[in-house]
Amino acid sequence: MTMHALDALGSPFRRDILVALRHEPLSVGQLAGMFPVTRPAISRHLRVLEEAGLVELYEQGTKNIYALRAKGFRSAHEFLDSFWDAALDQMELIAREDALRAAGRPTGPR
Amino acid sequence: MIEKTRFLACAPARAFELLTERAGAWWPRDRRHTKDPDSTIRIEPTGRFFERAADGTEVELGVVRVFSPPDRLVLDWYPGTGPQEPTSVEILFRPEADGTRIHLTHRAGPHSAAAYEKRAPAYEKSWTLVFEAWSEAAASSPEEP
Repeated sequence: MTMHALDALGSPFRRDILVALRHEPLSVGQLAGMFPVTRPAISRHLRVLEEAGLVELYEQGTKNIYALRAKGFRSAHEFLDSFWDAALDQMELIAREDALRAAGRPTGPR
Repeated sequence: MIEKTRFLACAPARAFELLTERAGAWWPRDRRHTKDPDSTIRIEPTGRFFERAADGTEVELGVVRVFSPPDRLVLDWYPGTGPQEPTSVEILFRPEADGTRIHLTHRAGPHSAAAYEKRAPAYEKSWTLVFEAWSEAAASSPEEP
């Protein structure tokens, strides 16, 4: 069962970890060196992010490396694309409602 | 780059007015930066492009570069990138027999080609967007329940 990403992103500290991982994959040790918290605390936060699908773990030699999970973060392109689809749908609807209103016909419930 | 075209059942002047003066009516309610789904969104001839929540909170969404009714609107677009690396939105309004065909292009701004190519890092700047980008992915990826 994956944890909801909203909860995972609810922590400013976990967001900081994601920001760090956006630059490059890092080991727990490297992350621990970047933040003023204990290694177990880092591991705990990483587990939450992993369960939310935002990061993934792979082994490199003896080290566990964490990286952002590409599928968890679909590109902004898709985000913007769906934004404009929704916006244009709404514009289309409003223009049609205006036209109906101008023609003196009821537009139905909003 | 994103390109969209859509037919609106009104004259270009009305379509332009709808886009600019009534932006709050078409801007997706779940994509408001102030978190107020009924926030006011203004695209003004003065150059301001911003959102205002009921509590008075204002967020600059970009800058109006060209405000030329009834045929052309160009915006610097901050959402997701910020003022240092705006993307650019151009909307053209072409009259048709019984309405207006609008052509929308959303692309890297002249100063932000690199930022746009590496879109994801820009999202560090807005955690609202980080979450939204994630939920989009979750909704569209069969792997994500």
